Amino acid sequence: MKRKTRNKYLLYVVASVVAIIFIYPLYILFLVSFSPTRYTLDELFPSQLLSHITLANFISALTQYNFVAPMFKSLEVAFLVGALTLAVAIPAAYGLSKMNKRLANLIVVFLFMANLVPALVIAIPISAEFIKAGLFDSVIALALAQSLFTMPLATFIILGAFRAIPKDIENQARVDGMGVLRTLYTLLTPLAKAGIAVAFLLSWLTSWDEFTFAVILSPLKPTLPVIVYINITEGSLVQAAAFAAVISIPVIVLTVILQKYIKGVYLSGGLTG
Amino acid sequence: MKFKLKHKYFPLFFILPLIIYIVLISFYPAFTGIFQAFHSPSTGKLTTSNFTALTHYGLFSAIINTVILTAGALAIEFTFGFIIASLLSKTFRGRSIFSTIYILPFGIATVVSAYTFSLIFPAVGGYANSLLSIFGIHAINWYSNAYMTLFTTMLADSWKTTPIVALILLAGMSQIPPELYNAAKVDGAGPIKRFFSITLPNMTDFVTIALIIRGIAEFNIFALPLILFGYSPALLTTLTYNFYSTTSTLYYSLASATILFAFAMGFALIVVFRRRMIGAYEA
Repeated sequence: MKRKTRNKYLLYVVASVVAIIFIYPLYILFLVSFSPTRYTLDELFPSQLLSHITLANFISALTQYNFVAPMFKSLEVAFLVGALTLAVAIPAAYGLSKMNKRLANLIVVFLFMANLVPALVIAIPISAEFIKAGLFDSVIALALAQSLFTMPLATFIILGAFRAIPKDIENQARVDGMGVLRTLYTLLTPLAKAGIAVAFLLSWLTSWDEFTFAVILSPLKPTLPVIVYINITEGSLVQAAAFAAVISIPVIVLTVILQKYIKGVYLSGGLTG
Repeated sequence: MKFKLKHKYFPLFFILPLIIYIVLISFYPAFTGIFQAFHSPSTGKLTTSNFTALTHYGLFSAIINTVILTAGALAIEFTFGFIIASLLSKTFRGRSIFSTIYILPFGIATVVSAYTFSLIFPAVGGYANSLLSIFGIHAINWYSNAYMTLFTTMLADSWKTTPIVALILLAGMSQIPPELYNAAKVDGAGPIKRFFSITLPNMTDFVTIALIIRGIAEFNIFALPLILFGYSPALLTTLTYNFYSTTSTLYYSLASATILFAFAMGFALIVVFRRRMIGAYEA
């Protein structure tokens, strides 16, 4: 019994130490963005503790920089990525759910393989194509590229949701004379809405954070992550902190909401078993 | 519009848009990029001159740095990943709060984590050194040489990427039957022995997946080094981007991207092949 309490005690110590390490960088980000610079960036060895709170950094970032345009660009791209991903992934997941399971899994693995091609390897050739097509710096071009990251995962998640729906429901609808497309969009899609919502939000989040495609395909009309990068290279570190905090707030909210869906089995793309 | 459900190929029509999309946006540009990398910018003839030219611009050190960074970052991620997965595989009060904290960095944008770590590890002073000074430790120059720079980058990178590794490993751990552990406990095997004789061998699939996903992502590490220390020491990605943004033709950047692709794929093949060999050995 004594050994058990000691083990439990050790568990909490290890868990807390790791938790402190993981929370520390976020703490520093918010410390810097909410403190006057004389306590943070101007100090060679800044204090670890928050002593003065200010919104001055946010005000300076939002007034000195055109914040609205990148914010809208980021939002537009993120929503478009979510929509594009669902538009393609829902039918694909439905098709896969109708197939023999082995073949379906093989196709899912193939989709994830496409995910493994380095973004730079794709971004540079398609930047040339998009310039030719007059789509450089456009919302649609960036969304098309970023959806590469989200399509396979979304298809996989929605496939799981479709497989969980009892076959009888669909068969009954077919017997009643419903067409395939109607069955899919008016019957099955509402039943799979939890999985579809998770797929949408994860896609949204991926696009909101994405940098490599954004910096190459949309450097002149940047998204928020690119604006942070531009601020850093220009040396406007306070503004960068404010922007970084602004980007992170929806991310933290979404991560907390989605945490029970962010599972190892999803992330590994069903490549096991 | 009605399809006959019995038709053998009807599911394929639903998957077709996705396949077309992947081929058009991923495979086709990757293929043309690699194809172009083997052609001469001036004459358009088949050549390897773009690659030999790269060797004069620090290609080899970029390769070595990328490999060191990948290996080191994977070591840190898997160490912490196993610690976190072991913690979360147990039931205890407050587990869900700890789980939320461990998962938070997963969603944070790479640019944001890179910026935050540039405050923690700046060229002089900074938050890490101010923390060390509380314990009376002398200030460290995080970028004193190429290896130190790579080490700092590994630390910064692992923060954001460990949660993914931990979650995949946790998924692997939770499918191991608990009876195996009970039997080992009866046999008197300690926790470390249990880890190496039961946990690890029973989750090789998950370890392989985590290795492939993270390993390839590690070869592609881009925003973090760019923000932390710029173009020197060079990595394959920053070298590629440097060529892309400074040279007028795309040939050098494509050649450099091709090498990146080759290394990422080579890594994945080695992992899969090794897994096969171990599997064959066990069988």
